[in-house]
Amino acid sequence: MTARMLPKNRIEEFVGRLLEQAEVVAPRRVEVGDVFYGAVASAEEVAWDYGHAVEPLKRFLLPQRETMLRYSTGDKVRVEAELDEQERVFLGIRCCDVTGIGVLDAMFGGDTPDPYYMSRRERSTVIALTCLQAPDETCFCVCCDAGPFLAKGYDQQWTSLPEGMLVEVGSERGEALVRSNDDLFDEASVDQVAARYRLAREAEQTFGDFKSYIAGAMSKLSMNEVDPKVWEQAALRCMECGGCTYLCPTCSCFTVTDRMEDSSGVRERHWDACLYSCYAREASGHNPRPEREDRLRARFFHKISYQWAQRNGRQACVGCGRCVVGCMAWAHMPAITEGIRRGVMT
Amino acid sequence: MAELATVCPFCGCGCGLYLHVIDDVVVGVSPSRAHPISQGRLCVKGWHAHEMVDNPQRLTHPLVRRGDELVEASWEEAVEVAANGLRKVADSAGAQAIGVLGSARCTNEANYVLVRFARGTLGTPSIDCSQRIHSVPEVALNAGNSRPGLDTGQIADLDESDLILLVGSDPTEEHPAVAARVYRARQRGARVISVSTRTHPLAALADVHLPVRPGGELKLLGSILHVLLVEQGMAGDADVSGLPELRASVADLPPEETQAATSVPAEAVREAALLYASSKRATVVYSTGLALSLHASAAAQSLENLAALGASGAGPKATVLGLLSRNNLQGCRDMGVAPDLLPGYTALGDDAAVEKLERAWRCELNRETGLASWQMMGKARAMYIMGDDITRTMPGAGVAREALASLDFLVVQDIFMSPAAAMADVVLPAAAFAEQDGTWTNLERRVQRIHRAVSPPGEAREDWRIVAGVSGAMGKPISYEDAQQIFEEIKDLLPVYAGVFYPPLAVNGGIRWPTAQPRDAGGAPAAREKIGVAAPPEDALKESAAGAETSDEYPLLMAADPTLRPWDGEVTVCHTLTAAGEFTVMDQDYPDGMLCLNPEDAKRFEVRGGRPARVVSATGEGQMQVRVTDEVPRGIALVPYNQAARSGPMEVSSQPVSGRPVLAPTPISVGPVQ
Ligand code: SF4
Repeated sequence: MTARMLPKNRIEEFVGRLLEQAEVVAPRRVEVGDVFYGAVASAEEVAWDYGHAVEPLKRFLLPQRETMLRYSTGDKVRVEAELDEQERVFLGIRCCDVTGIGVLDAMFGGDTPDPYYMSRRERSTVIALTCLQAPDETCFCVCCDAGPFLAKGYDQQWTSLPEGMLVEVGSERGEALVRSNDDLFDEASVDQVAARYRLAREAEQTFGDFKSYIAGAMSKLSMNEVDPKVWEQAALRCMECGGCTYLCPTCSCFTVTDRMEDSSGVRERHWDACLYSCYAREASGHNPRPEREDRLRARFFHKISYQWAQRNGRQACVGCGRCVVGCMAWAHMPAITEGIRRGVMT
Repeated sequence: MAELATVCPFCGCGCGLYLHVIDDVVVGVSPSRAHPISQGRLCVKGWHAHEMVDNPQRLTHPLVRRGDELVEASWEEAVEVAANGLRKVADSAGAQAIGVLGSARCTNEANYVLVRFARGTLGTPSIDCSQRIHSVPEVALNAGNSRPGLDTGQIADLDESDLILLVGSDPTEEHPAVAARVYRARQRGARVISVSTRTHPLAALADVHLPVRPGGELKLLGSILHVLLVEQGMAGDADVSGLPELRASVADLPPEETQAATSVPAEAVREAALLYASSKRATVVYSTGLALSLHASAAAQSLENLAALGASGAGPKATVLGLLSRNNLQGCRDMGVAPDLLPGYTALGDDAAVEKLERAWRCELNRETGLASWQMMGKARAMYIMGDDITRTMPGAGVAREALASLDFLVVQDIFMSPAAAMADVVLPAAAFAEQDGTWTNLERRVQRIHRAVSPPGEAREDWRIVAGVSGAMGKPISYEDAQQIFEEIKDLLPVYAGVFYPPLAVNGGIRWPTAQPRDAGGAPAAREKIGVAAPPEDALKESAAGAETSDEYPLLMAADPTLRPWDGEVTVCHTLTAAGEFTVMDQDYPDGMLCLNPEDAKRFEVRGGRPARVVSATGEGQMQVRVTDEVPRGIALVPYNQAARSGPMEVSSQPVSGRPVLAPTPISVGPVQ
């Protein structure tokens, strides 16, 4: 591990320099006390001691609504793609959310890369902030190998020590950022590195009751051994709000719509959810997943089956716990994996 | 990207959400975790609230009718045409021939100004909001502690309860934020009792579910009270006025006696009553399933009786939570959008209070009782409709459309070309919720701020400004600086809003009125000075016994279920693009009406799911598409209320006292289409 120290009194300077080159997206408190990741104008705005952001970073890589291209017909057909080319530094991001980006990368960056996503992703630097204690009672990243500290997946990973930030470098991009600001970073001492490992162990002890029995559920899901009752019971509850998918760092369903006026138009992409009854509905009215239990099964298969884990490089739940908060009906990931384990939803 | 805290524009729960804005366009929504209602959750409507704002189908310019067409006009011209048209009708037929409809979608400020416009400028007492039909008639029910022994609950009461009684309410469809609390309460061990014809998801998961035959609700509640008061001899320590009368009224209602009328086995009723009695803290929830029944007031009173008994020490402490269907239906009532009240529940005969309003508004007010929305149909000669969905809410096939078509003059202000707007002489484009400031009051009387996050499209304007403009063109200017100034006046003039301040409303879920209402920290109702119960009117009990009799010829009882797909076809959700799919399925798959039948009945009458069936009643026949579902008990056929209201073959009857129209359960026979 290459580790450096960014002393407390130089953090502001470092963030200031980042702001000269890029938009800095960091956790910040908004008006009624909620924390969101969002663009900050100074280091002061960053809520370093935040619990959990209401939403993951997804919005900044896959917006809820984005313009893909503009076109006009008539004598000459013109099509202009609209790519977001803003440089961004994601700073102070929770480990679960950083891990989530990796799953989105697998989805949008595979054999046929998605230009809209990749344009944003290639211009982004990810600086994770480790959790010294569970940010929320709903967190279960410890069940998902996605926190509270990470071994990979970041450009830099910061751990808050009394004297400043211990900075681990995880990529060429992260290294370049240290190199170009060499004057601000000190070498980390052996003690400081040791402290990081001690803090990681201690942090893991602070996680609460929201366990998710992912491994067991994965095996049953992958082998098609889940008791169908579980899906029926889950379907009875699920209200199709879509909240679990919208709040999930790794869900990526979208729909594409055209807004046409006379001879010109805009093509937009919107978030969609595989749980919505109309998501897979075809123009004929035929729906390949007509029942809610079919859709729930499909979603959880996508999230945590071996088959998908192989494609994504890992299972797609990062244990951020947002579905626990956002689910209207108590049919979130830990409730479902527990249901799969017991063969009944409680 | 900036986040702006505001409130969800759909149901009466009033979830807190953030709008994401880039370059004056709303591009997304996030839930608020800190907000006391949403707590980090939104339903499918809330998650897509931004989509109805920046929708290409928004009305952007005033339109006036030229022959068959609505053509663009300037604001000056449109307002002039509107003013002249209204004046002409007033001159020829009298001001009371003009009907005015306010909106449960619009702000308190807009509705308040509309009342001033109707009673002051136009001089008509006929002002109403058609969505009011979807609430229990007694204004007092949600008007705070204005009656002895009455307390109205808040959503957070569900968190404190060990028992939840759902009556005529399917919150999973109508009030998702309430359903979320019920699910969480279940998870920590609270018991759930459900009373509704349909076995909706929370009924299926309930500890006891009483699948009551449509029309049997009042009797069923009477039997529950019978078990508690007569069989169990439940009694508290405090004096309860009206208790002997109540006990006498339910004396003849042991569950065995009512079983035929309610179709609920006596043991189940007894089990429910005993479970209720064994709890410590109950929340009693009712909604449109009760509000749109024939004896809604008496049934709601039965629930209030439970709360009053609890307050006297008999049975669990209980609060009653009446769920209102629309984001600002409560506020609409608070602002006096009703033909028999003035803002703040001021009685028309309260001279001192009326004069206070007249002084503030510098005009004389019409103090008569006007026409209610349903009475306007066919009686009004002209109408001014502000964001009201009358063609959807008015029961009776085609009633609203025919009435609107027969008007001499119609002005509609709205954000979309609603069916009413398409028939108007003048269409005035309004700002959507994200484009105007103001307040809404949720179903628990939480007055919340909404914010202008983006500019309205084209020339659309805030609702209150449009109304004030038309008033000005009629020679009676209404001038306010902004929504805040209107709110300050509301707060100063209406005792019910006293103490509710405008600026802090943006923070943490607003302020509940009355602000003086004492509650302990847990949200439990405060001690009352006097506790009273009321027996249901005798004839209500008798009538509900008769109900609609089925026969060999018409063996099924068809009823309209207002809790079933209540949002399908609603103008704003249908323009909420991603979510619209969820709310147009019914019209796509069941265009003639969704007839929900129990699998056994479907088999017996040889009809198949997804296929049309012939439906015959004593008064007519038609076709509907069948949905086969266990949710419906045998012998009953359920149709979504809003579909039945528009096109169904059900008879319209009226609730006693209030005279509100409701769809009467109708015996039918069902068979395959030949
Ligand atoms: S529950 Fe009601 S207020 Fe909350 S998001 Fe849904 S429609 Fe909006």
